[in-house]
Amino acid sequence: MIELTNVTKKFGNKIAVNNFSLHIEKGSLTMFIGPSGCGKTTTLRMINRLTPFDKGNIIVNDTPINDVNPVELRRNIGYVIQEIGLFPHLTVFENVAIVPRLLKWEQKKIERRIEEILELVTLNQSFAQKYPLQLSGGEKQRVGLARALAAEPEILLMDEPFGAIDPINRLKLQDSFLEIQEEIKKTIVFVTHDINEAIKLGDKIAIINEGNLIQYDNVSKILSDPANEFVENLLGQDRNIKALSLKKAKDYVLKDGFITVLDTESRESVEKKMKEKNIKIAFALDENNHLKSRFVLEKATETKKQKFIYNPAPWIIERQNNINEALSKMLEAGEKQLPVVNRKKEFVGIIKLSNIFEEVNKKTNIS
Amino acid sequence: MGFYISSRPNIAKYVINVASIMMTIPSLALYGVMVVAFAPFKLGLGIVPSVSAITIYSLLPITRNTYLALNQVKPEMIEAARGIGMSKNQILWKIKIPLSIPVIMSGIRIAVVMGVSVATYASLIAAGGLGYFIFAGIGRANLTMVLVGAILISALGIGVNYILLKVEDWITPKGLKVKR
Repeated sequence: MIELTNVTKKFGNKIAVNNFSLHIEKGSLTMFIGPSGCGKTTTLRMINRLTPFDKGNIIVNDTPINDVNPVELRRNIGYVIQEIGLFPHLTVFENVAIVPRLLKWEQKKIERRIEEILELVTLNQSFAQKYPLQLSGGEKQRVGLARALAAEPEILLMDEPFGAIDPINRLKLQDSFLEIQEEIKKTIVFVTHDINEAIKLGDKIAIINEGNLIQYDNVSKILSDPANEFVENLLGQDRNIKALSLKKAKDYVLKDGFITVLDTESRESVEKKMKEKNIKIAFALDENNHLKSRFVLEKATETKKQKFIYNPAPWIIERQNNINEALSKMLEAGEKQLPVVNRKKEFVGIIKLSNIFEEVNKKTNIS
Repeated sequence: MGFYISSRPNIAKYVINVASIMMTIPSLALYGVMVVAFAPFKLGLGIVPSVSAITIYSLLPITRNTYLALNQVKPEMIEAARGIGMSKNQILWKIKIPLSIPVIMSGIRIAVVMGVSVATYASLIAAGGLGYFIFAGIGRANLTMVLVGAILISALGIGVNYILLKVEDWITPKGLKVKR
């Protein structure tokens, strides 16, 4: 839990943060958004005392932060910045181990923890001995997140962590970040200037302009009921379509209407099974539940005989994709249904175009 | 000294300036000054004034490179280190110094090689050394003697430089050298 009460910060004569009060609940993901120079990063940095504040009070976990030694405070709050700040002279292992070592954990415990945390951010264990210069942008970002989480802090501060990443990888990172948060349930404050990112990731959004808190509310509430023109402009003309993006693929996953087989099974036996059960689609999985291929049994028509199609690299949708993304993939693939996987690429079910249209219909009926 | 001034820009300005001024003094003149300075202690000739002169000469490259090296560490590195709860000392020893080693070492290399050449003059104030061959050779118009001295000194300079390059390579953190 983080509580800001009437916090004010001036840089010279300029007021950077003006009489700011905010209550951030435990286990929630709060997005700070606003134009550059609005005070969002300053506010974030005040929470771990990187920037001192002039007036007011900040309480983290029931203790006013000014009563805690700043170095101690920061070791108990995870921190991720845009440039990630991985230390190039240390291996991934050493980078992630920094805070546990500062906290004087035992070596055994550190090793176990790092294995666990690399697993969590879906990095192969072989990465432990690599150096940051050998990693791609997305991998660095995962290591940065792993480092911030290593000592199991309750609170995580993230300052535009995905800002320097190309759009395609950014979407992927956002998806897996959401799944990780679903698992770890940390109290996260996340600064961004990308409204789509804020809507996609946030439980709550704090909209900040010129040092003032303009609106602080649940994402759906902000989309349906913007406080003023500034918020409306920030959300953009298409805020109703954006509201759709609050719905995630995982909310529409179906567990029936298909069968799964092992990828070692012969095509003939798959075809036979499908015909027996009168099922049009089958997915082949390996022993780790990873999706390998897809089989489709096409309908027979008057002119054509029934066709059995093998599809070695099917399109997939990630659990955390919102339905805009899912819809767009379906249109691109020209499919009425696509398989859904989680961040570990494990198959979880399918999603159907008709279900998405139902959701769109609901929206249009309201307005 | 480089470490000390690296976080004190006000002092750093003066130290770097003073060191630069020292460098503009011709090396021969510096020996003269040293001889005079040490004369009252009956150390005016020989090893003591020569070593002092060479030390003063080496100050600038080492101090300046150390200062620059510690200040060229990217601010976001230091920001990240502070943000995860490292103290000032930990940031200096665990982050800034390892990242600065290549530049600090090149300062030391310049200083040592320069020291080798400046040490040539030391023979003029009775400290002996390879410079003796050159000056004695000039005095006797003996070209072979001059060449022997000059070649030996060059060889010494190149050799020392090579060894220091190896040392630099050895102590530079591996992560700074890896290929992408």
